[in-house]
Amino acid sequence: MRVSRFPWTPALLAAGAGLLAASQWLVFAYAPVEEVMGPIQKIFYIHLPLAWWGLVSFFVVFVCSIACLAKKDPAYDRTARAAAEIGVLFTTLCLATGMIWGRRAWGVWWTWDPRLSTALVMWFVYVAYLILESLGTSPERRRLVRSTVGIVAFLDVPLVFLSARMWRSIHPAVFASESGGLEPEMKLAAIFCTLAMGVFWLGLLLFRKTQLDQALHIDRLLFRLEERGEKQ
Amino acid sequence: MMRLALAMALKDVRLTLFRSAGLVQALLLGLLLVFMFSLSQKAGERVSAQTAATIFWLASSFCQVLVFNAVYAYEETAGQRLGLLLAPAPTAAVWLGKAMAGFVLVFLSQLVFLPATAVFLAQEPSHCLAEGLAMLVLADTGLAALGSLLGALAQGQAARESLLSLLVFPLLVPLLLSAISVFAAVFGDAAPDGVASWLGFAGAFDAIFLGAGLLLFRFIYTGEE
Repeated sequence: MRVSRFPWTPALLAAGAGLLAASQWLVFAYAPVEEVMGPIQKIFYIHLPLAWWGLVSFFVVFVCSIACLAKKDPAYDRTARAAAEIGVLFTTLCLATGMIWGRRAWGVWWTWDPRLSTALVMWFVYVAYLILESLGTSPERRRLVRSTVGIVAFLDVPLVFLSARMWRSIHPAVFASESGGLEPEMKLAAIFCTLAMGVFWLGLLLFRKTQLDQALHIDRLLFRLEERGEKQ
Repeated sequence: MMRLALAMALKDVRLTLFRSAGLVQALLLGLLLVFMFSLSQKAGERVSAQTAATIFWLASSFCQVLVFNAVYAYEETAGQRLGLLLAPAPTAAVWLGKAMAGFVLVFLSQLVFLPATAVFLAQEPSHCLAEGLAMLVLADTGLAALGSLLGALAQGQAARESLLSLLVFPLLVPLLLSAISVFAAVFGDAAPDGVASWLGFAGAFDAIFLGAGLLLFRFIYTGEE
């Protein structure tokens, strides 16, 4: 079995944390305070990167699930699991920050908006995906089931978004907006925060993948030791 | 492939209708849901068309979970899964057969839920009938495609109903939104943008999950316990 070794994982995590800390200067000292919403709008600089990297995590789950079924390599399943865990964590934080922001900006904790609904539905699906780990079946069967759910879940994402948009929407368009949108300073701060979060996300993904590899490696070593003990 | 799928669908429909309590349970659960939701209204208050449509489709979704658990449980409890896998037909025929059986059984249940919604929730399903019927077929196809794929996945689990509900309900959100929108119009809500876009959307959902079921089923319906 391959135990992944990524020697630059701690460096990536440290760089990501450093960049995230530096991005706070851009957020609070460089980017202007939004006229209508006031200082609460600053939450956007953490909310947006969490949303983006949460979605990227779920895309990684989708790609690795396809690779796992096609190549029958369990390493892809472990990468998908690591990405799903980080995706759920990021989406949970994204939902929490979004609700705090929404309460001040729109006066409600929750509204049926395409992006909010998509995030919540994805959260439900990927929590269920993580629960599959506790299935009382063989690891091979769990891997197949997880990979199937990983593919089906991501196929649903554009459908959820589209249906919720057809239903109703009050969420602001940030980058896509032609009229209004973000001030250049705000845009720069948002892009920097997103990139900083990306470095941190990659460090987390590699760190968690290594942990899962090592856990499996230890399980196998223990199994071999038990086998030897029984023979003696 | 079609021969095995049809034979399996017929067998499952017959077993469910005449030899088991699977459909009765699903019907009772759906009816209970409709009745319990009617308690949320004050005396003399009328349930809105959208609420009634939501309750109708929720009842259908719960019914779908029970139906697909029941149709997959026949082979599981009899230890005949390997027999099905050894049949001279693609594994996807099992998925298709179970999906067809599930479609028929959910549709039959809805023939009971619809009058129950009209009676308990004081609705008159008398508008956009052709579109309503088209949506019923499209939404039931989506429920069957996804239910058949994930029903196989939950087999062999002690808490398979809860696992299946946990996986299916979030995935069904887009389909349920479209079905609720059209049925709200059927129950008399105004649909300023029309219902055609929702019908197209439900068609797209069906196409995606029929394709996914056809491709992915062989990976999860295996001889492994």
